[in-house]
Amino acid sequence: MMSKRKAGRLLIGICWLLTQPQAWAGSRLAGTGGVMQIEGASGGGLSPWGMLTGTASEGEAGVTVGSTRADTSDYHLVVSGVAANLYDRVELSYAHQRLALDTLGGHQTQEVYGAKLRLFGDVLYRPWGVWSLGVQHKQLVEGQALARAVGARETQGNDLYIAGSKLFFDAIAGRNLLVNTTLRSTKANQSGLLGFGGDEGSHRELMFEGSVGLFIDPSWVVGVEYRQKPDNLRFAREDDWHDLYVAWLIQKNVSLTGALLDLGSIAGLEHQRGGYLSLQLSL
Amino acid sequence: MIMFCRPALITLLLIGLSGCTTSQVTSPTLYQRLGGEAGVHDIVTDFLINVADDPRIVGYFAHTNIDYLAGSLAQYFCDISDGPCTYQGPSMALAHQHMGLTDASFNALVDNLQKALMAQDIDMGARNALLGRLAPQYSDVMRDQ
Repeated sequence: MMSKRKAGRLLIGICWLLTQPQAWAGSRLAGTGGVMQIEGASGGGLSPWGMLTGTASEGEAGVTVGSTRADTSDYHLVVSGVAANLYDRVELSYAHQRLALDTLGGHQTQEVYGAKLRLFGDVLYRPWGVWSLGVQHKQLVEGQALARAVGARETQGNDLYIAGSKLFFDAIAGRNLLVNTTLRSTKANQSGLLGFGGDEGSHRELMFEGSVGLFIDPSWVVGVEYRQKPDNLRFAREDDWHDLYVAWLIQKNVSLTGALLDLGSIAGLEHQRGGYLSLQLSL
Repeated sequence: MIMFCRPALITLLLIGLSGCTTSQVTSPTLYQRLGGEAGVHDIVTDFLINVADDPRIVGYFAHTNIDYLAGSLAQYFCDISDGPCTYQGPSMALAHQHMGLTDASFNALVDNLQKALMAQDIDMGARNALLGRLAPQYSDVMRDQ
């Protein structure tokens, strides 16, 4: 255990760091690291994007922590995540997701270990933007019985994806537009929270995810996201996800994202609409 | 457009003017939106002051003739923003070759320019347009490092 005095010094140290932007910030421009998506990778809220987390560039490293809560009619999801960016080449991430089944009772817990490799490019400077290849290893650690009961074949799985992001300067009314596309190979039901594969399909499928965001000014982004989903379980239909988001870049290293979600039908309960709030801090 | 023009055209003909096309106002060039010669001069000055204060990259300019650089940069910005200048200096690739630039130093440079544009109250559209024209130069600047 850390003594009170040591903890106090640590706290003072962290506070000092927060007031010294140059001491920790990477050199990439504000907003070029996206935010933490629900599986821990840098992206929007729902999908991983082409860029790596934070603002670390060549020769720099950074760590991002994020906390997210999403509430819909019959569920709420709490996610805590951490992601590291090494030299703007590799991103390693971990996310802990807890889905509370407010109406049905009980909860599902999943852990997601992610790695993303930047293949080439830059979101601002290259004509084709930045492209990355990623993997997310997902493990249901609580609620495996429920996943099997609804027809899932497995309680762990791996998503593979390729994602590209590009900022178009001066695109609409003098404002910059960020465009992202992701292709994901997956078997996950509701991102894995209801297991992987099922009685209506147990093979990998290629899913499209995309988003656009307009920088209203340098610290406010408004956009929409779409994430296509497989539909592997006979017992309950699975819908694609949509959201409308606003991200506020409070400082270069702190952002708050809010969204209106439309997640469709989840485990037999229709019309899962609601809100999403996510805070992230990059060091 | 035709629907809109027809009544407008009739109105204009009635009052003795010549029609739709001549009534269009020419939009200002990016150079004008940046404040013309004086505006670009102030942007470049502010930009170079920011660079001089930036320990991440000031070292790259240790042996640079700053007055010459300022003049050359102003001419380059004028040219790239459709101003009445032709950039006479070396290509971006030649001007930066073997400087040992990294992505981090390039980002720092862009950061300093962005701060200068904001400090000079250049409106957001013009700021983004200029950054949008400069961003693709990355490939040439970083070609021989």
